[in-house]
Amino acid sequence: MEISKMFKRFPTLFPPIFKDCSYRLITNKLTWVLVAILMLPCALGLLVYYEFSGDRISEEVNGEKIYYTSSGELLHEDLRVLFLEISEYFGIGFIALLLGIMFSSELISEEYNLKTMQILRTSPIHPIEIFTYRYISGIITGVILLGLYSTIFYIIVMMGAGIHGILEEIGLLALVIKIVILNWIGFLSIFCAINVYFERPYLICFIYWLFWEQIMSGQNYQQITLTHYINSIIYDSLTEMGWSVTASDYGLVNSNNDTIATDPLISTFIILIVGISFIFIGSRGISSKQF
Amino acid sequence: MSTIIFEEVTKNYGRVQGISNVSLNIGPGVTGILGPNGAGKSTTMKVLLGLARPSIGSVYVDGVNPFDNFDLRNKIGFVPEYDCFYEHMSAVDYVSYFLMIHDFSKEEAVEKAENSLIELGLQDSMYRKIRTYSRGMRQKTKVARATAFNPQILVLDEPFQGADPTTRHLLMEKINSWSEEGKTILISSHILHDVEYLTDNIILINNGRVLASGNRHEIRKLMSNIPIQIKISPIDKNQLRPLVKRMLDEKWITAGRLLESEGEIILETNESEKFYTEFPQILEDEKIIVEKIVSDDDTLDSLYSKLVEGKQWK
Repeated sequence: MEISKMFKRFPTLFPPIFKDCSYRLITNKLTWVLVAILMLPCALGLLVYYEFSGDRISEEVNGEKIYYTSSGELLHEDLRVLFLEISEYFGIGFIALLLGIMFSSELISEEYNLKTMQILRTSPIHPIEIFTYRYISGIITGVILLGLYSTIFYIIVMMGAGIHGILEEIGLLALVIKIVILNWIGFLSIFCAINVYFERPYLICFIYWLFWEQIMSGQNYQQITLTHYINSIIYDSLTEMGWSVTASDYGLVNSNNDTIATDPLISTFIILIVGISFIFIGSRGISSKQF
Repeated sequence: MSTIIFEEVTKNYGRVQGISNVSLNIGPGVTGILGPNGAGKSTTMKVLLGLARPSIGSVYVDGVNPFDNFDLRNKIGFVPEYDCFYEHMSAVDYVSYFLMIHDFSKEEAVEKAENSLIELGLQDSMYRKIRTYSRGMRQKTKVARATAFNPQILVLDEPFQGADPTTRHLLMEKINSWSEEGKTILISSHILHDVEYLTDNIILINNGRVLASGNRHEIRKLMSNIPIQIKISPIDKNQLRPLVKRMLDEKWITAGRLLESEGEIILETNESEKFYTEFPQILEDEKIIVEKIVSDDDTLDSLYSKLVEGKQWK
């Protein structure tokens, strides 16, 4: 089947597949367990807000209320660090990773379990279409879910610094959402491909993430990990935003302590290439799998 | 007119043999594939559908290899034995989803899906979620999905499983009408009576090997080494002994057995035509009236028992 025909079929075929996939992802109980875990920092943020909002010092400048800590520092600069650090564990960290693994399993492995993959394989749909439509559905659903979560969490954390604080650090929210998107483009394609090839995808995905992405990303050859490129983008963006961060904060140094961060544009490009490559690897797995 | 050709096909799953050295030539009309569980029926179907690649040998469907050819998938409709649904969808959504894969526009797909489901008697429930369906309704939905795009080849794996008598009758009628349209239909079923109703063309398979294929009457004729058995029940049970004694006088009767408790005799012969020509005259001469003559000669049940299970009437 020609690529042009696949593009032509996209508007007809993608909507029902997206509807089905997003329905399955959203109605999966595990999704809501992970969402509940994601909401814990939000609940904690609300608690902290009501507990300590009276301790803030405020000043009105040009009709805008600016909040300070008791030591006289800008409150939003304190809170933004909190937002980023917690996001690195939740919205763009470990919990998001678990969500990605779960999504990939629901999108691909479940089709094998339901035996709908056998029916798809006897239907005139190319394995690239089978894989890509599910992958894109996963990205859209995941990004909407984590984007919404990040926005809610951002508002809850930053509301202590008032409207001024929320607007002042909006670039940080944009950065987190950008990282969510890139994370999902890169990692979801790898996880989906793992689901095509392995019968215990949860375990393999987790082993891959732990040994490849976590251990290798602190080494001299970390450029072979996606984490390196994600960290490079975060590091570069924070530097641009005027944060005082160093490359070593993000593990972007080699054993000689030389900075080895990659240019953000190149990093984005590499993440996209990885995403596309694993579409082909996964599709190949679907077409060659025998029943 | 579509043809399916297997050329000495062997399919191994690791060290387990699925099918061995299978050669088949299936043309238009209904062909029944019969065999016990694990005989290789599903593997044969998977190889034909391109779900499994032969380890040895070649398969051609309309002259092309089904494993690599996408266009061929527009010609084949498959009804699997197992459930394969997106349970949260309605039957219309499910069937139209697959029709869109066959390049129908959304409107066309929905219309065709509705028509197909109505034809199969699901008009009252086709907008309900599949998860609420009974087994028979699920079976009809699978058949609707496989046939709505008017394929030239139909592969039906246990299509009557779980179907109530009405559904079974309806499906049989549909299969017969598709056969009359010139479609090539391969059907597997454990219910021999159903297959017998649909077709005389059968493939008997066991332990991954084809034991026999072709017209079942022809197959029976070729089995000359296995005598034909005929059960006879006279109205007057006192005539059981004289009848068996009289029949054993004939050279073409190779054996006779008296089953007094069942009120019948079993005769064995290698010359069935002679039996059917001469037996009425013998009855007339001996003034014996029989209420029942049952031959095992070419019923599907009998062929299956002899070839697959290796047994005859005791």
